[in-house]
This record gives sequence, C-alpha cells and structure tokens, in this order.
Amino acid sequence: MPLRILYGPQRPVTNLRDIAANSELPPGTFAVISAGWQEDEAYTDELGQILGRPLQDLRLYNRADQVFADDPKLREAYRERQERLMELQRLYRGRLRQLMIAARQMQRSKAHADLIEPERRHAIEQLRALDRHHCNRVEEIHTNYANDINANQSSVLAEQVAAIVEQLADYETVVITGGNVVVLLNRLHLFGMAEHLQSKHIVAWSAGAMVLGSQVVLFHDRTSQGRRDPEIISPGIGLLAELVVFPDAKHRLKSRDPMRVGIISRRFAPACCVTLDSGTTLQFDGDRLRKATEARRLTRSNGLVRIRTA
Amino acid sequence: MNPSLRKLVRKRAPNAKEIDAFVGASEFPLVDGSDITFVYRGSADSISLRCWISGFNAAQPFQRLQDTDLWALSIELPLGSRIEYKFELVTNGQRSLIVDPLNPVLAHDPFGANSVCQVTGYERPAWSLPDPGSRRGTVEEQTLDCKAFGESRTLQVYLPARFRRTRRYPLLIVHDGADYTRFADLITVLDNLIQSLEIPPMVVVMTQSPDRLKEYGGNDKHAAFIGDELLTYLSRNYPLIDEPRARGLMGASFGAVAALHAAWKNPGVFDCLLLQSGSFAFSDLGQHERGPVFDSVVRFMNEFREQPGQPAGRIYMNCGIYESLIYENRSLVPRLQQQGIEVLFEEARDAHNWENWRDRLRNGLTWLYPGPVWMVYE
Repeated sequence: MPLRILYGPQRPVTNLRDIAANSELPPGTFAVISAGWQEDEAYTDELGQILGRPLQDLRLYNRADQVFADDPKLREAYRERQERLMELQRLYRGRLRQLMIAARQMQRSKAHADLIEPERRHAIEQLRALDRHHCNRVEEIHTNYANDINANQSSVLAEQVAAIVEQLADYETVVITGGNVVVLLNRLHLFGMAEHLQSKHIVAWSAGAMVLGSQVVLFHDRTSQGRRDPEIISPGIGLLAELVVFPDAKHRLKSRDPMRVGIISRRFAPACCVTLDSGTTLQFDGDRLRKATEARRLTRSNGLVRIRTA
Repeated sequence: MNPSLRKLVRKRAPNAKEIDAFVGASEFPLVDGSDITFVYRGSADSISLRCWISGFNAAQPFQRLQDTDLWALSIELPLGSRIEYKFELVTNGQRSLIVDPLNPVLAHDPFGANSVCQVTGYERPAWSLPDPGSRRGTVEEQTLDCKAFGESRTLQVYLPARFRRTRRYPLLIVHDGADYTRFADLITVLDNLIQSLEIPPMVVVMTQSPDRLKEYGGNDKHAAFIGDELLTYLSRNYPLIDEPRARGLMGASFGAVAALHAAWKNPGVFDCLLLQSGSFAFSDLGQHERGPVFDSVVRFMNEFREQPGQPAGRIYMNCGIYESLIYENRSLVPRLQQQGIEVLFEEARDAHNWENWRDRLRNGLTWLYPGPVWMVYE
C-alpha cells in the first residue's frame, strides 16, 4: 500500500526531517514536485538536506512554461480556460457569500428548536448544493479543455508527459511541496499526474497536501480585508478522496468559533476536514489513517477535536 | 486632569523634588482613557496647545499649577485617536513653537517634527515596523529627461526581493515618493506586505516634484508626464504587466489631487488609485476660501465633479476625521460611486499627516493589489 505522509507548514517546526529516519520509505532518490514554488521550483538543495535524500525535480512548472512557449494554440486554449475558471469562481463567490450569511444567521437564531433546526439543515444543504454545482461546472470546463487539447493532439504536451512518466518510473517516492496551490494544481492537471502518482509513496506538506483530496478548499479568516469564506477552487487529484486539508489553521482559521467550524465541517461532509499546523503529521496507508500527531479535525458542534489513532 | 497630577497639586504647591519624582515616573502626555493631560515644566508667560484638529480651538491655553513651574491642560479625545501637536510658548512677548520636551514620541514631516499623542486604543501597526524576517527589496535611482517640464527628473524605483526580468509585475507610481519613504516607512511596508503575500511583488516608482503646489494642482503637463513619458519609460525598462488593472497611482494631500487628475486625463490607463487625505477642495457656489494656492485645485475639482468620467475602476480613499478636508473627501465618494467606480473609503481618528497615511497603507495596497496569500500555503 503506498504511503501518504502529510505535514503542516515547515516553519517554525521543520518536522520533514523525520523523513530522514523513516524506514518505511524505500531507499534512494525522491522525485520532487515543487511547482507550487513557481519560479523557485529548482531551489531544492535545502529540501534535500532536510530530507536526507538526493532529489530529482520533475520540473512541472518549467515544463509547463516550455509547453506554452512551443505550442501557441495550447497556450491560448489554456489562457481561455483560466479566464473562464476565474470568471466562474467570481460568480460562485457571489452566490456563496449570500448562502454563508444565511447559514450563519440560522446558526445564531434563537428561534424555537423545532422551527430552527430544519432551517439550519436546509441552509447547510443549500451550501452543499452550490458547492456540488460549482464543482460540476469546473469539471465541465476542465473536460472541454481536455477535449480541446486532445483534439489538437499537442505533440509538445505529449512529449513532456512522456518525459515525466519516464522520469517518474525511476522513483518510488514523490515529494510535493507547499506553495501556490492553484499553480500546483494546474500543473498537476495539465500533465495528468493523478494517474501517475497513484502507485507512488507521497510525502507532502501544506499546498502539496491540499491537492491530494478530491476537492481543494481555499480559506483565510485573517486577511487584511477580513474574513473570506472558504471556497472550493478545484477538484484535487483524489489520492485521499475523503480528506479536506486546512494547513496553518492556527493562523488562518478562526478555529475558536465552534459555529464557524461546524458550518465548515457540515458543508464538506462526508469528507473529513483536518488541520495541518506546523508540527502536525498524518500518515496514511493508502487512504487509511494510521498515525496522527498534533492533527485536529473540524467537528459539527465541538470545534476542533484532536485526531487519535489506535 | 490626570488623577496623579491632581493629587500632586491638590493640597499645596509641590516642591522641586516632588515634581522631579512625578515627572520621572510618568509618561507624557498623561493618558487616562479619553482624558488627556498635557504638561509643560518651565517658565513662560503663557503656554498653549497647538494641534491641527479641524473644529478644535486653534490654541488651547494651559493653566499654571499652584506656584510651581508646572503647567497643564486637559482635553478629551476619542479612544483610538492619534494627534500631532506642539506647545506655543510666549516668553517676554516672544512666541515660539516647540515639541513637548517631556514626550519622546515624535512624528516627522518635511517641515520638521511634531509631538505625538496616542490615545488609549491606538497602536502603531506591526506591519509598518521593520521585520528582520521580511526579504528586502532594492531601490535604484533613475534619471529621466522630462519633456513635459523641460528638465531631468529623478525617480526612485523599488524592485521587490527576488526581482526577475522573466516575470511581469504590477506597477504603482507614488507622488511625493521620497516623503512617503522618509515619513511613512513605505519601503518597510512594501517589504512586509510582499513577504506576507498580502500584496504581490510589484514595482513601485517614487516621483518627487520640485514644485508640488504648482505641478499637482490639476496640471496637464504633469498628467502628460505621468501617463505618457513616465509610463513609456517604465514599460521599456521594467517587466511590467501591460494591463490597466495592474497599474496604479498614489498620493496624499496635493499628491492625491495629482494622482486623480493624471488618471482622469489618461482614461483607461490606470485602474487603481490610492488617494490619501486628498486636497479635493471645490466650490459649489461662489469663491472657495482655501487661499490662492488652491485655485488650480478647485478649478480641476469643480470640472471633475461635473464630469468625473471613469478615472479608474477601483479607488481607495482615506481621510482623517480631524482634518478640514474630511468634508471634501466624504462628498467625493458618492460622486465616484455613481460612475460605477468601486470605492473603499476609510476614516481614521487622525489628521493630515504622514503617520496617518502610513497607518492606512496596508488596507489601501491590499485592496487594490490583493496578493496571493489566499492561494499560498507554504
């Protein structure tokens, strides 16, 4: 069973160092996907020292740039896709805001229990329905795009995918770094990485951990403009389908607000919403959780609860 | 009056040693919630408080306490306020304005320094302080032959940490940029906000006019310089995102007028405006009362208010509620919104000074240039 080892931000606690002593991972070089670092993708020396392993960068960010440079038609199709996705996200956000306001109002209401409970449930169901609708529409745009590029049969893209697959074949473990989760996801989807990573051991942190779920949720309760409602940005690559990850929740999430936490938990159920703060580790055998250190899950009514394993 | 001071002078005139002890143990001005007691120690014929708060008596006289060399004045200021002030001393018929000798907190501007009173609830924002954890950008000096004004102009160009020519960057042009750097810690703020991903790495160009009262008052040459010459030069020499949404202008006071005018004269070029305590004087009827230096500003603002057009898509404005310009700023907001412009307007319990503008930079910059913090999970 391939391992999935997830970590939170590596500052202030750099617990990625534990990997160096992890005997469950096969010996040898790790492949690295650091596309979330964008132009800094290649700066993996320090990472290698921390992991205590030689690394082979798969260069997804750089490869994508190359594809776009060499195939103008594909670049144009990609740009159009991105614009449509951004526009769709804005529309979704506008609707989401209203439903979140309503859901919070229902939670705060002091109306009689038999009157308010069905309203609360319905308010959450409306949120879930919107999320499903949005995911379907995002999938539709992705599918149309994939069909477009298949139709055009970009040899440039095909060559890069073949090169990645060939390179990946030499490595049993893949490290996926943190960084810009949207950029990382785009590169993973562009090269069809979900399929190629299925059989690999995965070590990932922050954004790298987020992309493993079936849906990736952006969140931040403490921007300078105030709270932003968590929103689904894209399907993940689905290696841990029943998980939604919230890295650095200690700083980004108002986790002491049980109402807020409860809405999030109910909204993404049956997926388990977990925090990945600095110092946290989650280890899965396939999709079965085996070990948890300092991780918490969001619950319907009790705020954050520590995850314990047998 | 501050309770400790009242206790000191209540029964009898304290002696010098007692006053020394009191002064040594206190921070001045004495702040008790919203009650502020200013204290001066020394000899004078009279002492007054000078602070630039609109609607407040221009000079507030101190009271000499008992037969001591202590003078005091108590006023009330709302919680969270921050004001700058000086003492006006009259000695032997001679007037002088001095900073508060007992208060080490000073604010600086091009004219010197003022003392600062921070009422309970005010705190200097942490993101405006130097942070050793923030990567630092660089500032390079460039000289541009300015055809509009027929002379060379020096620019300071801020490049973010890890600047690369293979990337494209948003642009912000700052009026009175050297003053923003010296008095509003602009470079520190940029470094910190970029580090925290609250704004994207961006190129910030600081311009400084040798005659701002003339060049910033709705001056077409200035608008041509900004929108044409300067932008052309910057686009040729720096990797900039070639879209209006990634270009902005910023300024305070007359600088805000200049930014608004330049955007108005170059429609569709700059989508973002950051306007702080804009000197947006206008006259609905008859003559304005702000003096001749405002003549060109009023001419522009009257024309602008009549036909605002769309100088930008998004405008951040802020103004201190203790400024006389608060009325002009408040009244401009709905006029802009009627044009379909997205406006974020903020007021602060402060006045027309650089530290007020500094304290609002995060809100303005992050709203106009939202950074990737939402998408980055390190």
